[in-house]
Amino acid sequence: MKCPLETWEERDLVAYASGALEGGDAERLDAHLESCSACREFVREQRAVWDALDGWEAPPVTADFDRRLFGRIEGEVSWWQRTLGRMGFPLVYRALLPVTAVACLVVVGVLLERPSPPIVRPQPTAQVVEGLQPKQVVDALDEMEVLDQFNHMMKPDSSTPRM
Amino acid sequence: MPEWVNTHMGGATAALDYDAELMLRVKDGDEECFAQLLEKHRSPVVHFLYRMVQQQAVAEELAQEVFLRVYRSRGAYEPTAKFTTWLFRIATHLALNALRDGRNERSQERLDERTEDMPALQVEDRRPSVEQSMVRQARLDEVKRAVAALPGKQRAAVLMHKYKEMEYTQIAKVLNCSESAVKSLLFRAYETLRARLAHMA
Repeated sequence: MKCPLETWEERDLVAYASGALEGGDAERLDAHLESCSACREFVREQRAVWDALDGWEAPPVTADFDRRLFGRIEGEVSWWQRTLGRMGFPLVYRALLPVTAVACLVVVGVLLERPSPPIVRPQPTAQVVEGLQPKQVVDALDEMEVLDQFNHMMKPDSSTPRM
Repeated sequence: MPEWVNTHMGGATAALDYDAELMLRVKDGDEECFAQLLEKHRSPVVHFLYRMVQQQAVAEELAQEVFLRVYRSRGAYEPTAKFTTWLFRIATHLALNALRDGRNERSQERLDERTEDMPALQVEDRRPSVEQSMVRQARLDEVKRAVAALPGKQRAAVLMHKYKEMEYTQIAKVLNCSESAVKSLLFRAYETLRARLAHMA
């Protein structure tokens, strides 16, 4: 077996020192340690570190940890979100609801503020007549006369024009 | 309940850890599952943070922030990694920020004091003599100083490796670095610790 320290595989030695290395790997390292003083020293020192760290216990979590946490959560969740939650609304809908409400308000606001289209009033007939030029009237009367003459030519026995 | 279960998701079968399953239920609005996650991970997270910042009050404050962030992020949660990887990534991030901001600056001053929240080393004799207690306390303080002297990332890597028994790959994901970087971090960290603590053997 190659020396773990020479092959930069000290991870195996760390695992060995902590007892995490098992089976064939542990047996191979056992055999290597018998002939390698550097690795033996490494393992001895690493075990000392491991034992020292083992002796460092963390204190227990204070009893009101959960109460404080849920208090903060309650403070962040609005009453209507809690109500929707109790009603079984999935979170995604609860999150979308305020967005939808705001979007509706914006649409309503835009519709209310939108300027109404100008009312198109039909122009009275008199105004159309007034708008005619005298030349146009004369031309129209001439055309009527020509048409009347044409009718007479086509139906000479007719006493009345069929206009 | 097995740690890893198969779950059918969107037509594809994905392997999810049970905590990720719980978190997905939290995402769907099941508050009870959040309480289950809190119950399971409260102590590991607080203990990890305590060893990072070495002050119980700061550690609990940071742990509150960790779980609060988990709760806030429930809507966007996607089980792309193990739940504990995500959880400890948040915890490590907050702890490193706290160390950077000096929120635990008093912790080093307190190492010389005997405080109620710092228990003595585990001993078989339940009634140690005053002298034994003092020796153990001195050793414990030395361990704390040695760990506190490590740079933030090395400290986090050692604590996850030693106390959470995380694999190099998971530590790499938590610290957002390569596995070889973790190997290097741990090598340097244990080298420093061996230099300072080997005489305790």
